[in-house]
Amino acid sequence: MGASASPPDRRITRRSALRLAGVAIPAVALSGLMSGCGTDQASTSRRSLRVSQPGEPRTLDPQKQGDMPSMNVLINIFDTLTGRDPDNQLVPRLALDWAPVDELTWRFRLRKGVRFHNGEPFDAETVKFSIERLLDPETASPIVELRYVTSVTVIDEYTVDINTDQPDPIIPEKLSLFGGVMVPPAHLQEVGDAAFAEHPVGCGPFRFVRYQRAVELELEANPDHWNGPPAIESLTFKPIPNPASALAALQSDEVDLITGLVPDAALQLRGYQGIETSSFPGIRTSYLSLDTEDPVLSDRRVRQALNHAVDVPRLIDAVLDGKAREVPTMIPRESFGFDETIEPYSRDLDRARELLAEAGYPDGFRTTLTASNADAFVAEAISGLLARVGVEARVDLLDPAVYSERLTSENRRALGPIYLAASTGWTLDGASLVQSNVRRDRRQSRWTSDEADALIDREELSVDPDERLQAFAELQRLLKEEAPFVFLYQIDNILVHTPRVHWQPNVTGALVMEHAEVHDE
Amino acid sequence: MSERSRAMVRSAASKVLSALVVMFLAATVTFLLVRISGDPLSMLLPPDATAEQADELAATLGLDQPLVVQYADYLSGLIRFDLGDSLFYNQPVSQVIADRLPATALLAVSALFIALVIAVPAGIAAAMRRGRARDKGIMTLILLGQSTPAFWVGIVLILIFAVRLQVLPASGHGTLSHLILPAVTLAVYSVAVIARLLRSSLLDVLSSDYMRTATAKGFGPTHAVVSHGLRNASLPVITVVGLETGTLLGGAILTEQVFTWPGLGRLTIEAISNRDLPLVQGTVLLFAAIFVVINLIVDVTYSAIDPRVRLEK
Repeated sequence: MGASASPPDRRITRRSALRLAGVAIPAVALSGLMSGCGTDQASTSRRSLRVSQPGEPRTLDPQKQGDMPSMNVLINIFDTLTGRDPDNQLVPRLALDWAPVDELTWRFRLRKGVRFHNGEPFDAETVKFSIERLLDPETASPIVELRYVTSVTVIDEYTVDINTDQPDPIIPEKLSLFGGVMVPPAHLQEVGDAAFAEHPVGCGPFRFVRYQRAVELELEANPDHWNGPPAIESLTFKPIPNPASALAALQSDEVDLITGLVPDAALQLRGYQGIETSSFPGIRTSYLSLDTEDPVLSDRRVRQALNHAVDVPRLIDAVLDGKAREVPTMIPRESFGFDETIEPYSRDLDRARELLAEAGYPDGFRTTLTASNADAFVAEAISGLLARVGVEARVDLLDPAVYSERLTSENRRALGPIYLAASTGWTLDGASLVQSNVRRDRRQSRWTSDEADALIDREELSVDPDERLQAFAELQRLLKEEAPFVFLYQIDNILVHTPRVHWQPNVTGALVMEHAEVHDE
Repeated sequence: MSERSRAMVRSAASKVLSALVVMFLAATVTFLLVRISGDPLSMLLPPDATAEQADELAATLGLDQPLVVQYADYLSGLIRFDLGDSLFYNQPVSQVIADRLPATALLAVSALFIALVIAVPAGIAAAMRRGRARDKGIMTLILLGQSTPAFWVGIVLILIFAVRLQVLPASGHGTLSHLILPAVTLAVYSVAVIARLLRSSLLDVLSSDYMRTATAKGFGPTHAVVSHGLRNASLPVITVVGLETGTLLGGAILTEQVFTWPGLGRLTIEAISNRDLPLVQGTVLLFAAIFVVINLIVDVTYSAIDPRVRLEK
């Protein structure tokens, strides 16, 4: 092509440029208009609160889920027999009071005049229906806490007995979330399970409005709630898995409150104008499980040395941005049975080296530390702390699903000699964290101790609080002495929000938004 | 029936048959792979569930059956277009997917549209000014577009348009304004691929004899390119656009994460990390079906555009 081709070329370019501009200008104008609509929506006069969490409900049928992301939403629609107030106290909700009748029976007296969102009355039959539906194998409920409950007996219109096949001292605590949810019997029988999960009807402080899966779930205040209407009129939950996206959504006024952040992610959000970070004590407790049949770890002195070597306050400071609390043994603070007189390990490195030398490992040893890749930073940091006493722990990170499969597998060594684990003891009872990993017959136990087994039996099988307190105190002393775990920390509940939001979670971190307030700026 | 139409029917039948074989293989491989990858029970139940509780749930969900029985159930379901029930969502897989498919389809189609609107003029413009500043400029942008990962583009766009300028939302779904940023993000890579390919295939065509003839007949360069060159240069581009649709679905997985877009990409990630076996099977099978159908469409389009390519070939 010669020079002669150039002039028409340029002409074309100019023309196409104009055409492009013709397309672009309306597009820009349009986007302006559309964003205008967006802001209108956000600035409505109704008191509304938009909450993000990384996950979303599996299902809106409260008895077919067993995870916190689902419960966080459903606890606002459905009410429970008992509850936890912001100060972590067990308080009456649909049940007014309760007491054990005998070792195998708990009696609950119920609140009168409560109605479901569709007008259906709440009474003893509701409790019987709800709990027996949960227990029915057909329901395939993932809720496991009511494992000893066999049936519910209606005593009169507002009194029920919950029957168990072995003593269960913490039935009232277990009814404060998952297992304590009440569902409307007549409505369920009328519409069926599938329709109920599409449009849930509860008797909680908020009513279901609509749900667009993976986008948002909208609730509105229930003006007829027995505890009075909640302070906010409209409550929306949005699942935003990615912390960076959640921050952007907060900054562009699409959410007001971000929950479920790990300290590392919250740290990224610090320093932005108009954004506040609040952290509150939490119950979720992390620990290292030690295989007490491992050739090296079978020596108690080695296990004690590891507890000295893992400098937990330093770990909290350096890796968790200070947003956690050291825990002395396996019973978290705020739990029934926590013994304040038991101090955490003193983190004495010289003592650790001494203990290792006594056990025959003056230069330390090699081992493996397994963790879910969600906990990579903490695992790496622990490995670094162990290295200071010569213990070379190679960190083995697993996909969370592979991790949890091995955690619950028959093979109790599937996660190697040392693994990092965490558990949310939302019943706030000492039994919660030790129920599945101490007594030798439990799925995650890697310890064989007659003394420990007997103490677990004493606290699990007695409904006498004093007897249980004593068993817990002895258990904590034994745990510290025998060190079948490395005791770590309780992670905080972290909230990132606009200054308008006023809300405080209790230690369970459940998103009970009944008392949340949104103030005008 | 003429010899020719009989041949066409035979050819179409064999294509459908091979598509079915591909689908069957995809279904079988997925079935086996998801079962190797892990056990859904540990994700469904809290870690403190007892072994008895786990066994009971496995029995209710049919996960205690031998693999052969589960496979036979799965295949017999597929024949009836029944993908089973999602373990997590307590809903039929087909319904869970149907809820999410429109969002991804909208995103992919919008992205493809944006990609074509930008890439075709850019490819032509570059080819017509080969080696000149305009060509070099366009090629540099293409290189940038092709080498920038979608999640980065997405976050940068969010920072500019949602956080700084506050003209577009950072996440969510529902209005046209929610669609713009994810669609543009998803389009970036495809713009680069399509424009680059169009440019190089136009360059081949431009040096051919018939283009010289067209110019000799007095056609201006643009007229010659658009009416003669483009049609001939479009064959490889159509193949790539077809394949790009697959890339767009794959890219949607990242883009949907960044923009919290409620589509199949996010659903697939969730299903895999939850070990929701029936749902993983369903989504993978759907992706396979989309690929198969796109390939069939590309084949047919080919023969429509280029008479030399016949269906019976």
